[in-house]
This record gives sequence, structure tokens and C-alpha cells, in this order.
Amino acid sequence: MLEQIVANGILVGLIYVVMALGFSLIFGIMRIVNFAHGEFYMVGAVVVLFLFGGMGWPFFLSVIAGGITSAILGMIVERVLFRPLGSNENARMIMSLAIGIVLQSIALLIMGPSEQTVARPFSGTWDLGSAVIPTDRTVVAVSALIVLVMFYLFLKRTRMGVAMQAVAQDPETSSLVGVESNRVYVLAFGMGCLLAGLAGGLMAPVYTVGPYMGETPMLKAFVVVILGGLGSIPGAVLGGLLIGLTESVLSTLLDSTAALIVSFGIVLLIVITRPSGLLGRTVR
Amino acid sequence: MKTTLGLVVIALLALLPWLLGNHYVFHIATMITIMIPMALSLNLMMKIGQLSIAQPAFMGIGAYGSALLTMRLGVPPMLSIVCGSILSAIAAATLGPIFLRIKGVYFVLLTYAFGQIVNLIFQEWTSLFGGNNGLYDIPKLSIFSMRLAEVSHYYVVGLIFTTLCYICMRMLEKSDIGAIFESLNEDEILSRSLGSNAMMWRIGAFTLSALMAGAAGGFYAFYIGFLSPDTFGFNGSIDLIVINAIGGVGSVLGPVLGAILVVPLPELLRDAHEYQLLVYGLCLIVFLLFVRDGLTSLIPNRRRAAQ
Repeated sequence: MLEQIVANGILVGLIYVVMALGFSLIFGIMRIVNFAHGEFYMVGAVVVLFLFGGMGWPFFLSVIAGGITSAILGMIVERVLFRPLGSNENARMIMSLAIGIVLQSIALLIMGPSEQTVARPFSGTWDLGSAVIPTDRTVVAVSALIVLVMFYLFLKRTRMGVAMQAVAQDPETSSLVGVESNRVYVLAFGMGCLLAGLAGGLMAPVYTVGPYMGETPMLKAFVVVILGGLGSIPGAVLGGLLIGLTESVLSTLLDSTAALIVSFGIVLLIVITRPSGLLGRTVR
Repeated sequence: MKTTLGLVVIALLALLPWLLGNHYVFHIATMITIMIPMALSLNLMMKIGQLSIAQPAFMGIGAYGSALLTMRLGVPPMLSIVCGSILSAIAAATLGPIFLRIKGVYFVLLTYAFGQIVNLIFQEWTSLFGGNNGLYDIPKLSIFSMRLAEVSHYYVVGLIFTTLCYICMRMLEKSDIGAIFESLNEDEILSRSLGSNAMMWRIGAFTLSALMAGAAGGFYAFYIGFLSPDTFGFNGSIDLIVINAIGGVGSVLGPVLGAILVVPLPELLRDAHEYQLLVYGLCLIVFLLFVRDGLTSLIPNRRRAAQ
């Protein structure tokens, strides 16, 4: 029983981490609370629906295509819609709402309101101790882990990754040493959307695909990021796993709506007592 | 002067439903009179620089609160609306000291989480709130034993209510208190150094905005006669934000204009429901990019020009 709960928690938690990392990256670098993050997740899933489900592309290739589509879309949106707004926090937040609405409505126009299923590329289960684990969830979790490691290496080992960290810490000083913040912004937003798109693509066969599918993962990402600290990468990882585990425990003991109420209760408490989250930097 | 002209035009528009005499037009007009106070309540919060996503939740507290008072305890509807809105104001006054310490993005997230919790409670506590099936059979409104049956009756009540709210907000904006509210947004430290008790004023604004939202909710409950949780969810906040962004946050006329333009939109696009969201989103983007201060900023103002 306990093993099953922990395994479920980690399997779900890893996907939350990927979602939350993108959300947190965008906030940390650009100070945008991206309310459209769930819609970029949806874009990734829709691409998988068309390429893998419709045209028979290999699954992983479709997931990557989904991530890239979402990333390109994100970069265009940053350049065309966010940049003209300057540093007005509220205006940017409202803009992200607007982008979410537009993406959702386009999906609604293309595929209608009904939820569609993607055939599972993997089936079966395997046992870990007393826990029974579905193979497809395992594939998702392992892929998520690979994405996480690659993202970590990108941040730490590449010039662009270091530049992103620099801009997140202090945009002015980093521009003094020659970091072009505008380029960093475009790439960071694209990167955040890439992560969301990959998460959506991976999850497409697990849940159903529809215009509104991004809402729940967005909520989760949001809870995770508040818990871990907005803008903190280790915080997002810790938060994702914690929320995954908490949910797994709560939904076994209570029902899932009650679990959701509890997680929002946690968010309220955290924002009130420690707004910067468990591992966040202090608010500037 | 132009503002006065605008008000005259709005007053004439308010008479339009009688000219058309259409049941449906009356319904839309009544919805506008409910959304104007809602938009004004968000506008008040935006004036003090705190974008609140909790306004529909306060509307919900007012709506469910007053409906249940009448249905379960037999309180007269008008009294219930008053009690419901006070309930909502009490909730805001209690939470205010905790919530309003937080500013900027975190305040948005906080009110968002609060709104979600309230909504989940409406969904989950089925024995009291009816859950996702909604709360049925809310009696019709009656004033001094006169029972309101026609939509046009509700429209008259709504019109009086919304005019009252507008006048109050307008007076507030013009008064010293309005100046203090504005100073909290522009430069709080300076404002406090001049002796304003910033926290008290913030709580005051939050409470007043919840009172207004609660009253709008109560009136909505008795008008529609049926409540379901998703009316008071996140999408409700998006509507209010769109109304304020299109009308303009800078003046109280903004939300009024915004509501008059935005509320009929879903009805006009009823046959093309799928396009409704798209139009919403695109309007919002266009206004954010090109008319940042909303429609009211397009009205030439002699005083503003002279400054």
C-alpha cells in the first residue's frame, strides 16, 4: 500500500516538475505569471494527437515535434505580444490570460469541444515490490526525468543557460557584461513553452486531449511553483515531488476534490507565511 | 464636459430596452446592471494597485448566502441581499489584514487560490450549496410584498442598484479618500509619510469592493433563480478584467462603458459560440497593445489637457 502510494506520487510528481519548471523559468527571468502555460501544454498534446494518433509518426518524434511547436509559438508570442508591454506586471499577466483564451478558442475551432483519446503506445504493468506500476506511466516518468537532466545541463553548462541565470538574478548588471536580455527573454519564454509542450505531448496518451485539458496541469504547476518558490528551479523540483506525493496520499484517503482543496489551502498558507516559497529567493 | 455627454448617452441607452420592448433585450440589460457593480468592485481594487481574482468569489458568497437565507430561514429577499452582501464584506474584512500585506504578483496568486477554494467548497458541499447540479428554486424577489415577476421589473431594480453603485464610486473617486487610494498605488511610502494609514485604507477598499460584489451576487441569485459554482469561478474574473481593460481602469466610467460593450458580446455571438472566446481574447490583446488605458482615455478631457 505504502509503496504504491509513493510510486504513484513520484510518477505524477515528475510531470508536475516539468510543467512547473517552465512556468518558474518564465517567471524567474521575465517576471511574467504565465496564465497561458496550460495552453502551451495543450498545444504539445494536440500535435501528438495529430502526428502520432492521426498520421502514425513514431511516438517520441511526435512528442518532440509537439514541444518544438509549442516553443516556436512561445517565442513568437514573446516577441510580438509581450515585448511591447515593457515592464508592467499587471499588463503582462492580463496579456498571458488573453493568449490563453486565444489558444483555447483556436483549439476549440479546430477540434471541437469533445475530448479525444490517443492510442496508448505502451501497455501492460510491471511490479516493484508490492506496487503495480503501469508501463505507460513509467515511460512518461523516465522521459520527464531525461528532460529534467537535459534542462539542468543546459542551464549549468551552456553559455545561454548561464546568461539566463544572470538575467534572472540581475538584468541590468548582466546587460553591462554584454548579455542581450531581449534575446534571453525570447529564448527563455520559448524554453518554458518547450517544457510545457513536452509535458503535454507525453501525457497525451495518458489522459484525453481537448481544448480545456491545460487547465488542471496549469493549476498544478501553479501550486507546485508557489510551494517551491516562484523562480526557483530546485524549488520546482522539490515542490513537484512533494505535491505529487501529497496528492497521492490524500486522494487515497479522501477524494480528489478534497485533495485539491487541501493543496490550495497549502498555497494560501505558504503565500501568507513565506511568500518566497520553500526554496525561493527573497522577494525583491 | 465630455464625461457628462457620455453619461447622457449611457442614460439614453438605459432606456433602449423599453423602446425595443423585447424580453431578451431586457435580460441582457439586466445582466449589464449586475456586471457594472462587479466591474466597479474590481476597478476599486485595481485603483489601489492590487489585482484581485477573488471578486467572483465574493459575488458567490453574496449570491449563495442570500439565496440560502431566504430558502432555509425564510428571510425576506431584500433583507437577505443586504445580509448576503454584509457576509461577503465580513469575509473580506477578516481576510484583508492577512491578504493585503502581500502585493503584486503574489497578491494575484493569493486571491486566485482563495477564489478556487471558495469555488471548490460550493462544488463539494452538496447538501448546502447543491454542488455542480446547482441550487434551484430560488424564490422571486419581492419588495414590500410587491412580487417582481417581469424581467423589466428586475431591470428597474438593477438600474437603481447600479446607478447607486456608480454614484458612490464616483463620489469616492472625487473625494480625498479617492486621492488616498490612488496614492497607495502610486507611492505608498510617500503616502504613509504624509500620515495615511495605508493598511486601514486597503482593508477599507477591499471590504467595500466585497460588499458591492456581494450585493450584485444577491441580486443575481434572485433574478436568475438558479446558482451554479462555475458562474463564480476564474472565468468570471477574466470577464471582469476584460471589462476593465476595455473600458479603462483610470476612471469609474471605464467599467461602465466596458460592461455595456462586453456583456452583450456573448449574446451577439450566440450563433457562433466558438468564436466568442476568440473575439474576447483578440479584443483583450488589441486593447493591451494599442489602447492601454482603455476607452475612457480616448475621451478628450479638458481638465486633463490643461494640466
